[in-house]
Amino acid sequence: MPEIFIDGKRYEFEGKPKLLQFILDNGKEVPFFCYHPEMSAPANCRQCYVKVGTPVQNRETGEYELDENGERVIRWFPKMQTSCSMEMTDGMVVHTQESSEEVARAQKDTMELILINHPLDCPICDQAGECPLQIQTYKYGPEGSRFEVKKVHKPKRVELGPRVTLDAERCINCTRCVRFTEEISGTHQLTIASRGDKNYPITAPGMEFDDPYSLNTVDICPVGALTSTDFRFKARVWEMNQTPSIDITGGKGTNVDLWTRDNLVLRLTPRYNENVNTHWMPDESRMAYTKFNENRISRPSIKADGDNQIKTSWNNAIETFAEKLEAVKPADVLVLGSAHASVEENYALMKTFSTWGVNDFHFSPDVKEGFGDDFLLTDDQAPNTKGVKALGFSETSAEDLKAAIKSAKVVVLLNDELVDRGVLGSEDLKKPYVISLATNETETSKSTDLVIPITCIAEHAASYVNVEGRIQRSLPAKETKYTHRKLDLEMSEGRLDRYGTNFDNWVNEDNKVDCTPTWELMNNLGKRLGLSVQFGTSREIMDEIASSNSSFEGVSYEKMDDENGIQLTGMNKEEVSA
Amino acid sequence: MSFDWKSYTPVIIPDTPNLHEIDVYTKNGGYDSLKKVLSNDWDPEKVINEVKAANIRGRGGAGFNAGLKWSFMPKPDGGPRYLACNGDESEPGTFKDRKIFEYNPHLFIEGALIAAYAMQCSAIYVYIRGEYYSWIKMMEKALKDAYDKGFIGKNILDSGFDVEFHVTGGAGAYICGEETSMLESLEGKRGYPRVKPPFPAQKGLWGRPTTINNIETLACVPLVIKNGADWFSGIGAETHPGPVLYGISGHVNRPGVYELPTGMPVLTLIEEVAGGMRNGKKLKGLIPGGSSTPILRGDALDGVNMDADSLREAGSMMGTAGMIVMDEDTDMVEMLWRISHFYHHESCGQCTPCREGTGWLEKILLKIRNGDGEIRDLELLIDLCSQMEGRTICALADAAAWPVRYTIDRFRDEFEARCKKSTYALA
Repeated sequence: MPEIFIDGKRYEFEGKPKLLQFILDNGKEVPFFCYHPEMSAPANCRQCYVKVGTPVQNRETGEYELDENGERVIRWFPKMQTSCSMEMTDGMVVHTQESSEEVARAQKDTMELILINHPLDCPICDQAGECPLQIQTYKYGPEGSRFEVKKVHKPKRVELGPRVTLDAERCINCTRCVRFTEEISGTHQLTIASRGDKNYPITAPGMEFDDPYSLNTVDICPVGALTSTDFRFKARVWEMNQTPSIDITGGKGTNVDLWTRDNLVLRLTPRYNENVNTHWMPDESRMAYTKFNENRISRPSIKADGDNQIKTSWNNAIETFAEKLEAVKPADVLVLGSAHASVEENYALMKTFSTWGVNDFHFSPDVKEGFGDDFLLTDDQAPNTKGVKALGFSETSAEDLKAAIKSAKVVVLLNDELVDRGVLGSEDLKKPYVISLATNETETSKSTDLVIPITCIAEHAASYVNVEGRIQRSLPAKETKYTHRKLDLEMSEGRLDRYGTNFDNWVNEDNKVDCTPTWELMNNLGKRLGLSVQFGTSREIMDEIASSNSSFEGVSYEKMDDENGIQLTGMNKEEVSA
Repeated sequence: MSFDWKSYTPVIIPDTPNLHEIDVYTKNGGYDSLKKVLSNDWDPEKVINEVKAANIRGRGGAGFNAGLKWSFMPKPDGGPRYLACNGDESEPGTFKDRKIFEYNPHLFIEGALIAAYAMQCSAIYVYIRGEYYSWIKMMEKALKDAYDKGFIGKNILDSGFDVEFHVTGGAGAYICGEETSMLESLEGKRGYPRVKPPFPAQKGLWGRPTTINNIETLACVPLVIKNGADWFSGIGAETHPGPVLYGISGHVNRPGVYELPTGMPVLTLIEEVAGGMRNGKKLKGLIPGGSSTPILRGDALDGVNMDADSLREAGSMMGTAGMIVMDEDTDMVEMLWRISHFYHHESCGQCTPCREGTGWLEKILLKIRNGDGEIRDLELLIDLCSQMEGRTICALADAAAWPVRYTIDRFRDEFEARCKKSTYALA
């Protein structure tokens, strides 16, 4: 197998990897800005310099020539090489900044030049704290600057499009954003304008940067030049907690991170998963964070007189729920699962009601024909269509659903905005007694008789099966009235949670929603109805599903965490149709 | 060198009147070399070997053997292959290709066609700088005439060899004279130099094998075919032979383009060919091959000849043989600032050291020029040059750094006289 010597250590490699990626893959570091593993390497930032040499081989025999000490004779490249574009060859010898003063010096030189026209406005820059330029300057940069003349001034606060704002002075011209629109999203909306130290990325005159994936350029920007218009100046990076989760606005199951501060989700960013979304995420999904904060239902509410809903106690809500059920036969109750809710929630609902005697379970798929592209957007608008189906809920069309509601006396509706997305009219829900378990106040929840708040994906750990049959799970990011960040070991802790006192941190009880996970609600309901159902944590529920449902065989939270999601066997990759 | 330059008969731009007209050109033996090559006994291999033996060293500045360059093209695989002719000449002090476009375009066209035949190219592109608008028109006219006469197109002279010939104008960027950047520009993209490898011979225009040659280089080719490699390599300096177009500008009495053999003594060129220094002033400095080549002191030019080896010994380069002559009144600080201004303005902005370094160099030189400089700024300038040289994708950073490094090195007294004493040392 071909070998390479990096800083005196021997590594073996296969194929033709590029040197920088190989160094990074082996847990070492070389500073870089323009390189991105998903895109071409333009080698323009000149930061990833290394010293490279190849062994001298005898032309005839192909044997390595040795010096008097029996060491291989190395022919060094006359110039320093950019490791991002350097193809590895057998026997190559590489010195990074760790073992070569010359390389460290070259990297410092480039860094000094990158910084001369950079405004160094870190204290007011959104990127500070997660800025490759900032981090690498601390690690590899010069101690000071010898630049004593005037910096170049360029446009600031340029609205490139509806979602992205440019500060051209901060730009270091790595061209990652331009290459993203050329190579990944394919819209070719950005280009570099002007020349030399005056250049910066911009759209063609009069054009908007309205690429459906435009915000990815903000993520890959190695400085604070491209910022999200929505998130700009909202929070410092180090004040937020970062929690891995799943995007619930589409069927792709894009892996995301939820960024929370004071139990409010402030932004979503993509999380790397080579099997789903790699580094990217559609803009559409990023705005979903508002649903986790705004219009949340806190405490149950009940229709009191006419159409007015008033807040009620949890006891009263459970009591009313049970009374309404006890007044009718199981056959008169319509239980609707939801492709917008997790596997565990749907399972808890189904198990409770089938123990009570209900046999039929339905759900209404949420598919918008023609919405998908062949990248990360799918026709399926729900995150868990395949999951609900695998649990045994039957796909029901709008007409059948309306008929079923008409003939039912009590309807139990798990978190699904049927009225808002036009499947039902609010008048369809008039006749039966409708109990909805919902996260957000919507037209649907307003049309129902009893609304019981449940946790959303940002507040519970639960799993979702995407259109490709891959099951992935979320972690709780926000506290509810009944959870505590320090007690729930799965909850992420930020720097201030870990090291600060309560007085350092942002603490606001108002942002904690009064709601419970569906399975805890089902526990209370089951107890009241005298059923033998008892759910533990969602982790235990998943173990139970895995042992009872063949579609979920072998699934567990541990395995999902280890493997970044599990491809369910027996589920094909074709899209779910209406 | 006791060469009588007055007895030399020019061959690239001969004295024949109206040679730019195709009829005049063919009457004077034009396109005979092409006919010779396309006749049966010349296979492409033979053409390449002949040109290689003639040792035409690229006239665009790098001075690489043209025939050797041609031989780097991979074996034909049935797909398109290209010859790109670089007529961007935007290096300050260089204005030789213009003469060819104007006075002898068909010599270049013939050379390009022979080169295309030798490398089995399917299309030839000639890239001419946008400022040469009239010369682009002249080339278009010349190409049309050659098409009409059947020297270009399908089945040229019944030999079965097909080639298309296109003219493209630049848009005023110096960087598009860099070969890979020119390819990007030809493809209709922003003129950013490409990372090598892959080299153009492997992946050039539209990802296909491409060779890039200077206009003057190609204009030498028909002469080599006509008169033989030995004739060509017998002209001028031994290691850098052939006729060459010297573009002499600056403080001389008769600036202009002169065709003479390589290896001419620099002082002969200035004193005799160009008619001596203007107003009888003393020679102070000479930039021998376009603004990026290191400047030589006027008092160190004895015995220096215009060929690669002699100039290397003297501490400079042949470049494009665009000589900029400066007299004793020249302000070297002003001159260097102006050159730095040019490179700052023309840096494409792709690589960090060049994008930021050229601007920094210019700003410091402007400071010194305005009398605000300090001695330590000179150290900083030299330091910056080391931070730029060899650290970028193309050679523009080197081209910007060399004038600064060598002008300060060779005229340091003048720079120091302009600088104040430093108040504190360089960090």
